[in-house]
Amino acid sequence: MQTITYLILVPMVYLAYLIFVLGIISRMVKIWRAPVQPTTLQIFPEKKPKWLWALHDSFLLPTVRKHNPVLWFFLMIFHIALLLLIIGHLELFKGFTFFQFWEHEIFLGKGFVGLTMIIALLYLLFRRFASPTRQISIPEDYYLLILIFLTVLFGSQMDWARRWYGYAELSPSDYQTYLTSLLFFRPELPSAVYQTGHSFMLVLHVFFANLFIMFFPFSKIMHSFFSIPMNRLRRG
Amino acid sequence: MDTQTREDLLKLFQSKLNQAMRLYLETCSRCGTCTEACHVYASTGQVKHIAAYRHEIVRRIYKKYFKGQGKLASALGEPKELTELALEELYEAAYSCTGCRRCMVYCPHGIDTQMLMSIAKLLLVGANEEPEILSMLADSSIEKGKSLDLFKEGFLTAIKNLESQVVEKWQVEAGQNPIPMDQEGADLLYVALAGAHSIIPAAAIFNAAGENWTLSFFEAVNFGAFVGDPSRTKLILDRIINEAVRLKVKEVCICECGTAFRVMKQLSGKQPFKVSSITEVHARYLREGRIRLDKEKFKDPVTYHDPCQIARNAGVIDEPRYILQNLTHDFREMTDDVRYNWCCGGGGGLVALGEDTLDFRMKSAKVKVDQVQKTGAKILATACENCHTQLSNLNDHYQMGMNVQFLSSMIAEALVQ
Amino acid sequence: MEEIKVDKVMDLKGLPCPMPVVKVSKGIKEVQVGQVIEAITTDPGALADFPAWARTSGNEILKTDQGDGVIKIYIKRDK
Repeated sequence: MQTITYLILVPMVYLAYLIFVLGIISRMVKIWRAPVQPTTLQIFPEKKPKWLWALHDSFLLPTVRKHNPVLWFFLMIFHIALLLLIIGHLELFKGFTFFQFWEHEIFLGKGFVGLTMIIALLYLLFRRFASPTRQISIPEDYYLLILIFLTVLFGSQMDWARRWYGYAELSPSDYQTYLTSLLFFRPELPSAVYQTGHSFMLVLHVFFANLFIMFFPFSKIMHSFFSIPMNRLRRG
Repeated sequence: MDTQTREDLLKLFQSKLNQAMRLYLETCSRCGTCTEACHVYASTGQVKHIAAYRHEIVRRIYKKYFKGQGKLASALGEPKELTELALEELYEAAYSCTGCRRCMVYCPHGIDTQMLMSIAKLLLVGANEEPEILSMLADSSIEKGKSLDLFKEGFLTAIKNLESQVVEKWQVEAGQNPIPMDQEGADLLYVALAGAHSIIPAAAIFNAAGENWTLSFFEAVNFGAFVGDPSRTKLILDRIINEAVRLKVKEVCICECGTAFRVMKQLSGKQPFKVSSITEVHARYLREGRIRLDKEKFKDPVTYHDPCQIARNAGVIDEPRYILQNLTHDFREMTDDVRYNWCCGGGGGLVALGEDTLDFRMKSAKVKVDQVQKTGAKILATACENCHTQLSNLNDHYQMGMNVQFLSSMIAEALVQ
Repeated sequence: MEEIKVDKVMDLKGLPCPMPVVKVSKGIKEVQVGQVIEAITTDPGALADFPAWARTSGNEILKTDQGDGVIKIYIKRDK
């Protein structure tokens, strides 16, 4: 069991990030090396400055808000929660204090951010079971939602256990030790990380996160990089 | 399908893979925001007409042959082999899409369905399975460019025979040619369609505005674009470009034809002349006081259908409205702004396919009929031959009792000295 | 010149672009090889469109008549 735990928490993490970085670079190079579209693909009427409107389209999803306000609501809380969780994870690296200009406990939102994201994910998943979204969905869409759901579920449970139920066996400082050691290629697993009653949550969280990260460059999640250039094409 | 054919078709597919196309193929998150965007889906409720569904038909072939996923992880995205059946599916997707790009407005990423369908159309051309009529029309357009001298005399005579009808609408000064042709050094080259209705009113207005113009030997419409064949599109376009360069005109004015205008204005690269739609030119004459219109001429309420390729896809939006303000006291805008205007249902070559597509065109454009009727207008003006034909068909089919008009004809009717 | 024997008359007056050519290309399939269609149109463009179409489709324009604002084109099916 310990071997499996180790494999997931150390080598698999490195492997996942290797695939992630190489995958993204290769996907981008492939597109970047393709010939440029010679003519405009703009939609009118135009608004200036175009680049600012393209950012507006990419981050605020105005068209979704107009045509499917419920979907827009869940997409927005999903993406905002995701952003807050990314900030939370960055803060798990020792010495990364940038976000502490506004003093807070690590992992903003007292556990509610994860909960919000889980609710949004359930909505996004269940809507795909209903027509006509069902007919335009492909397996990838379900796999990704389930994968993110599992990742967030186990990740949030650690947060909830600590904050809502007072199980303080695993603390941010343990995560900090673990993550920072990975960053400097001197992997170190504090006993709290893999020997306490809650370490299975961490192991499963990291396991599903690894799968997701490996899948990322080859999936539609690449829209996180491609949406802005595409919206620029539309804005002209 | 034999291996050689498939390889040739995949080469054609590859030729379409520029940066924008790859982005469109890679990015769809199938969020379904586009569901209500397509007039065909909105009118018929058939899932196969949702933009994302159309995309996926092309995308599955892309995944199969151009992505690792197709070979390594086919359970993820259901990649599809390029077979005869796949071609049939591509045909259905491409020729039920009018290329109006309304769904592009809905998409949070801005995916261009018309671009993706252009892959389908090119594959069909490669497999000789494109609509025969469109291909035939494209070929004769090209032939016309090659053998101009053969038909020149007959065409000049036919144009000469129209002169009296032009003069009826607007008296020209003695010695002035009502329909000038082949005039080197003219300011403006007007590219019309085959029909007299696209020449006579336009000529009267040019003469009224005192324009130094000349009529093109060629028709504006580009059937190469309809059938989705880039090389033939270019050959057809080059006829006009060469003529414009030979005559050293400053401006090329495209008649009321959406495809012709979009191809010339937006998809032909930079040219040594300015490209305008006839609607823009007419608005300019009005602003500059070169023509004046009788506002009492049309008493019934008027609404205007924005041709997709001229408005949403090429930006001619304010001009027709400015003209209509000078043409009627009762102009009624259709609901929702121009970006969301419903397609007439006749674009992408569907109208040119005539009766073969009539049933589909009528069923798929129900939402357009509702949108027009909601205005309560009696006159339905538009500035595209394709839209005009389709709207007239709708008018008959749904017994709308409207008077479908070309904007330019209305202007010519209302000209005052 | 000898009188042309017409086997089918098609009235294409006032049709929108590109219907005259489309209709004739369908109509030609309804006559036998060697038979003649008389197409009546008001489109000046037809005088360029029909010969170009005939060349690409392998048919033959026998004669064109212009007058009274009406154009008559005689097309022989060659294949």
